Amino acid sequence: MSFLDIDKATKSYGAVRVLNETDISVEEGEFLVLVGPSGCGKSTLLNMIAGLEGVSSGEIRIRDRRMNDIKPADRNIAMVFQSYALYPNMTVRSNISFGMEMHGVRKAKREEKIAEIAELLQLTPFLDRKPGQLSGGQRQRVAMGRALTRDPDVFLFDEPLSNLDAKLRVDMRTEIKKLHQKLGTTIVYVTHDQIEALTLSTRIAVMFGGEVQQLGTPQEIYDNPTNMFVAGFMGSPAMNLLPATLRDAEGGVAVELALPDSSYISLPFPRGATLSGQDGRAIVLGIRPEAMTDPESADAESPAIHQAELSIDVIEPAGSDTYVTVSLCGKDAIGRFRANTSARAGARFPFSFDMAKAVAFDPETEQRID
Amino acid sequence: MSIASSTHRIARFALYGVLALFCLYYLMPLYVMVVNSLKPLSEITSGGMIALPKEWTVAPWRNAWSEAQVGVEATGMRPYFINSFLMVIPAVAIATILGALNGYVLTKWTFKGSTILFGFLLFGCFIPFQIVLIPMARALGMMGLAGTVPGLIFVHVVYGISFSTLYFRNYYAAFPTELVRAAQIDGAGFFTIFFRILLPNSGPIAVVCVIWLFTNIWNDFLFGASFSDFNSQPMTVALNNLVQSSTGVQEYNVHFAGAIIAALPTLLVYIVAGRFFVRGLMSGSVKG
Repeated sequence: MSFLDIDKATKSYGAVRVLNETDISVEEGEFLVLVGPSGCGKSTLLNMIAGLEGVSSGEIRIRDRRMNDIKPADRNIAMVFQSYALYPNMTVRSNISFGMEMHGVRKAKREEKIAEIAELLQLTPFLDRKPGQLSGGQRQRVAMGRALTRDPDVFLFDEPLSNLDAKLRVDMRTEIKKLHQKLGTTIVYVTHDQIEALTLSTRIAVMFGGEVQQLGTPQEIYDNPTNMFVAGFMGSPAMNLLPATLRDAEGGVAVELALPDSSYISLPFPRGATLSGQDGRAIVLGIRPEAMTDPESADAESPAIHQAELSIDVIEPAGSDTYVTVSLCGKDAIGRFRANTSARAGARFPFSFDMAKAVAFDPETEQRID
Repeated sequence: MSIASSTHRIARFALYGVLALFCLYYLMPLYVMVVNSLKPLSEITSGGMIALPKEWTVAPWRNAWSEAQVGVEATGMRPYFINSFLMVIPAVAIATILGALNGYVLTKWTFKGSTILFGFLLFGCFIPFQIVLIPMARALGMMGLAGTVPGLIFVHVVYGISFSTLYFRNYYAAFPTELVRAAQIDGAGFFTIFFRILLPNSGPIAVVCVIWLFTNIWNDFLFGASFSDFNSQPMTVALNNLVQSSTGVQEYNVHFAGAIIAALPTLLVYIVAGRFFVRGLMSGSVKG
């Protein structure tokens, strides 16, 4: 029994299944992020937890209480919407107080709570303004303030930062994380932004096609993606997914990567030890850009650094790093070099492959095989 | 001065000239009405329709308002004017509120068949008044409302709902559903959401709806003539009776004054709320 149990929750619209038998258990105080591309079912799942959409089959329980047929207002949840959904005809004060008023909280108590929340979110100077007179970040804070009045069991966030500009988004992200650390409330947070997912969460559920592809801590998801979808979706730039061939080698397994001039480079693959004896098998090798770097930047702790010289196609300086594109196995592979690298486009340059970080997928099933 | 700019000025001049001419043309009937309502009958019958009054008088206005022979007694138009208000205000209020409720349900609480229902409601906009005269007379009779002001209110509400629903449905279709959901989570019920969240944000479309209904119901003659008796006749019917009375001399100056009195309320509504009208029409139709 966890704090919030999603038990085989399914949502269908007629014959279309948008969410398929999803199981997630959330412990009290966790920050769970549901991440995935548009139409993956993440917002539907959030709305089902909120009670704004019905559950076709399965169960949603909070504190062991079955929620399926309980009205949104009686679930003791609070929700922050993507558009903030502030009532435009009411002042900030009334916006924050509306929910308490609906729940029959006495006026004196309401005033007290409003003052407390305004203090917490630095909204005191704006209490008598209308939402139309506030900036995006202030509206966002009012929306959170409104949610805070309830002392909810679970906070639900529906892409709360996607309407903000890039700078403000980063600031508010930190604000939300601080708030979580201060209040310790359980949070379920929906986003399509994998950076938000990695930075905010204690656990991530990566969703696609109405199914949870992988559920785990940010580190697990990043280092050990269970399939090619998760590998490609999480991380920026995305993990390089290279069609390669397994080779049995002395003392273990190696992978063979094709170069544009139809020669090969062969790299030892320590994680693929379980795949020995499958010489010649086609696999997809997943390797993150930071595991394909210049020799000076290579992880000195890693037990499996291997160098190979490759011809560079494109150099993209990005300030803190330089992204280097090479042609490998018929694909564009991206490596992350340090900012002041001497690598130049068109020249050959030694690459350090951190093969301890590489993973292997089956090209047919797209699942992890190592 | 260059040739280009002088031809430009001539074109401008011609344009404004034509516009001024049209303006005069459109204002002419109003001018005739006002001028003739302010002169003694003898000046009109002696052939001076266009001329300003030689002798200014408000007697025709007083006459039309409180002395003219409209019905059985010489009451002027005052009681009918009051009848019209007793009919228009409740009819507009009820039709607007019901339309807003319909719009709310049809957009935020959609159910199976709600689109079809809206289609049928819209159909009401296109049914000519004449078709329903006899069935409506029968219905009013069965309800015991025949020949009464409440009967007229009922008829106008029934006809008004189609339009008010159309206006509010289109307006609320563009109204963010997230606000309704947020209010639901805050614990507000069906009517609380309607009265506290939607209605306060419906200003522009409410103005459009009120102007439209007010003008239509105030100006209606057919229902007024068909479903009222002597005590419940609205303004339009009284004006007709005033002008059509076949006894005695045709008092044109009184007729003119009566017609202006009959038109004044709608004119006032337009002047007061008119600028919201265009704005509201746009916001309702374009976004919807």
